[in-house]
Amino acid sequence: MTAFLPETLLLTCGILFLCLALGRESASRAAWGLGLATAGSLLAACVWSLGAPPETLFFSTYRIDLFSQGFKTALAGALLVVVIFSREEASGTTGKRIEYFLFLITATLGMMMMTSAADLLTLYISLELSSYSLYLLASLKADRRGAEAGAKYLLFGAATSGLMLWGFSLLAGLSGTTSLALIAQQAPVLAAQPSFALAVVLVSFAFLFKLSGFPMHFWAPDVYECAPTPVTAFIATASKAAAVAILIRLFSWTGLTPALVWVVGILAFVSMTLGNCAALVQRDVKRLLAYSSIAQAGYLLVGLLAGSADGYASAFFYAIAYLLMNAAAFLVTMEVGRAARLDNPQVSHFDGLAERSPFLALILLLSLLSLAGIPPLAGFTGKWILFSAAMDKGHWFLVLWGVLNSVVSLFYYLTLVKHAYLEKPVDPSPIALPARLKLLGLLLFFALVGMGVFPDFLIRFTQQAAGGLR
Amino acid sequence: MSGFPILTSILLCPVVGLGLILLTPRRQETLIKWISLVAAAATVALTGWLCFHFNAADPSFQWVENVEWVKAYGINYSNAVDGLNVTMLLLTAIVIFCGILVSWSVTYRVKDFFANMLFLVSGVFGVFMTTNLFFFFLFYEVAVIPMYLLIVIWGSTNKQYAAMKLTLYLLFGSALMFAGFLFMYSLPEARTFDLLAIKQNVHFTLQQQNVLFLGLFLGFGVLAACFPFHVWSPDGHVAAPTAASMLHAGVLMKLGGFGILRVGVYLLPDGARTWAPLIAGLALCNIVYGAMVATQQRDLKYIIGFSSVSHMGIVLLGIATLSPTGFNGAVFQMFSHGVMTALFFACVGFIYDGCHTRMLDELGGLSKQAPKISAFFIIAGLCGLGLPGMGSFVAELLVTIAAVSRYPVIGAVSVVALLVTAYYVLTAVQKAFYGPVNHHHHDFKDIGALQFIPRAILVGVLIYLGLFPQVFIGLISASTRALLGGG
Repeated sequence: MTAFLPETLLLTCGILFLCLALGRESASRAAWGLGLATAGSLLAACVWSLGAPPETLFFSTYRIDLFSQGFKTALAGALLVVVIFSREEASGTTGKRIEYFLFLITATLGMMMMTSAADLLTLYISLELSSYSLYLLASLKADRRGAEAGAKYLLFGAATSGLMLWGFSLLAGLSGTTSLALIAQQAPVLAAQPSFALAVVLVSFAFLFKLSGFPMHFWAPDVYECAPTPVTAFIATASKAAAVAILIRLFSWTGLTPALVWVVGILAFVSMTLGNCAALVQRDVKRLLAYSSIAQAGYLLVGLLAGSADGYASAFFYAIAYLLMNAAAFLVTMEVGRAARLDNPQVSHFDGLAERSPFLALILLLSLLSLAGIPPLAGFTGKWILFSAAMDKGHWFLVLWGVLNSVVSLFYYLTLVKHAYLEKPVDPSPIALPARLKLLGLLLFFALVGMGVFPDFLIRFTQQAAGGLR
Repeated sequence: MSGFPILTSILLCPVVGLGLILLTPRRQETLIKWISLVAAAATVALTGWLCFHFNAADPSFQWVENVEWVKAYGINYSNAVDGLNVTMLLLTAIVIFCGILVSWSVTYRVKDFFANMLFLVSGVFGVFMTTNLFFFFLFYEVAVIPMYLLIVIWGSTNKQYAAMKLTLYLLFGSALMFAGFLFMYSLPEARTFDLLAIKQNVHFTLQQQNVLFLGLFLGFGVLAACFPFHVWSPDGHVAAPTAASMLHAGVLMKLGGFGILRVGVYLLPDGARTWAPLIAGLALCNIVYGAMVATQQRDLKYIIGFSSVSHMGIVLLGIATLSPTGFNGAVFQMFSHGVMTALFFACVGFIYDGCHTRMLDELGGLSKQAPKISAFFIIAGLCGLGLPGMGSFVAELLVTIAAVSRYPVIGAVSVVALLVTAYYVLTAVQKAFYGPVNHHHHDFKDIGALQFIPRAILVGVLIYLGLFPQVFIGLISASTRALLGGG
């Protein structure tokens, strides 16, 4: 049970915040400190639980292994980053401080449970726990756009969870059990039935929704744009990592039939193309990052459809890299937005960033180049191993298409870089960076370069984790 | 050979220099320049030492360094050099050293400029020494991205357009390389990115060779400015600041030619045989088309830019002959063109800084005002048109000999095209440097001692190459023979 410590911790802190929310307004001043303490101790607990031996809990509905604990550590890291981001109140969310942290905590709890879920019901509950928390977080801003984005998110989410339930019912009906391990045992036999493939596709749609991959991507641009920036960062990092985790679990359990590979391949193809092409014309940086995340979902799917241990390991690696580079990109976006006194910085607000804050400009440069897959950064190494896993299975066309897409994506990333380094700023006042963000930026800098140049440790870790999946 | 890791030391010079520059406060501009210069000088010393102690008679790789990097993917940090690499390393060191000296006059964002220069050159050094395809690709892209920033921040003439075009073209090329490398890795006998292991263990079928070679050739060809993918290069050269143009035309384009030889021909000789006629045809387009367009240019830098396209055609033609003589000529041309074009850009950059124009109509009589810089430009020009006694002459001679015996028609046409080169070079020289002094630049001053040194070094190398070609040929010929499996 020691391995359940992170979840226990989150649950306790969640209850604590719930009690605080019932209390007086003045408690909200301590909220940030409490949130930071929660996230910090959670990270420590997760790192500690990495050494836990593989086991199943709660009558085999909950699975602890290196894979789940690895992802939990990543999620805890994402939560910590977002809490550090949330020192100041986001605009338009006054008076909801405690609720804000409460929902962050419940969302993280849901995501962590997702990575460990070994039963259809656990999976459903954990998914909904994280989703509903995110719906609330996304619509925290009390304006029309925020409400619209929240409603869109909720409606799409509800629809996909309906599809997922349909898929679950097919799976349970075909196999006569809700245990994923037992379904996995029957999968080779069931794979011949079209309804099984349909079920897997329906279920993976629900996770694609979290990953913002085509055709479940429609919510992403609006939600990214209208949610408070730290929340967007949370959706872009933690939620994506959890989606990758559960997709890996799903595919490793059900296996990938040729038909399924075709479906995923087509989705990956469209995701990459659509995300990159749409990102080319964006002016709002958060929207731009949303479309870029749709494209990134496509790259991840290319690695996943390899269906090999290498493919899953590299998807894990890429999820961590993705988390880091998005955190760095949102750090800069948030600070530029803050300097311009708005929550939605346009591309033009990045003008002259290199003069206003050389450090931020450097972080921006690194994170964007890493997203574009340029060495020697984490995104490059991640893409390299992701695509080599796909190439192994003969998906040369998708690989070629993916790399060509990276070239396209470089256009909009470099445009942003150009604004930061070349254009003259309208407001030339330097941007003062708080010490905690400076430290975080430095850490992200070293993590991105370190994962790019010295990836061996993490690759071995992810391979070990992926090896223990079945 | 184990012992002192000299190759890594060469790579570390710019990397350490870069680290020091990043730690230096922004205002210490002179210190930053000196750090870069010392780093560049150290690479010259080390590559020079390497050339002297390199065993030219031995065609195998020397100074092998090998450290396991990512075991699961067969990625090793492995370096090794043969004659081909050694000469390219030397070229890079010379050009960066001169480039840093030429950039002494940079005043805008000095720290960022030199940091980018050193970052770029680390990538170039890396490509020229690594024997692992992962690191090959990594260093290759490391060399491309700083170029974008160098052009976009310190460039001139339509720089945003040119920088984006250059970057996207080069990365398009690298995308093809990426897919090719991964395909090689995915073959069951390979499971490694090690160049030498792939050469030893993998037996590509003819069909695989044909497809892979075409993809890799197109990928590298973009960088080597192969027709019709050359369009980025004149724009890029013109827009880049002086030192970046020098590095770019002098060294970066050579990465393409080097890649075709080292990865394409070395690993896939049969694929190379299949596509050699196509390469020869494209090379001829390069030579003729580049020269013809150069005759129509008014901007001095565009003339050089298109002359580079034309001269890279000679490299490609040499490669297409698939003969030791042709390879020797191609490598010789890469080296001498690298030095020559660096000299060209060093001169034009200085003229532009002084006259604020590069248009032929607005220049004139420069040789009266500034005899030294004019002499340098004219020497580069003479080298460009293949005057005996200059490096390019030997290179063009070798390539032409090899080409005429293999592709008589193409070889003959390429010789005629050299006349066009003579025409545009002499026209440019005549318009800019002779005749009455143009009132546009009546107060133009000749170069001082500091600016004299880098250009003099480049001229010295060119003349040395022309007078003692056998020294250079001796360095490379064993290795170029080995490329085709001749041992």
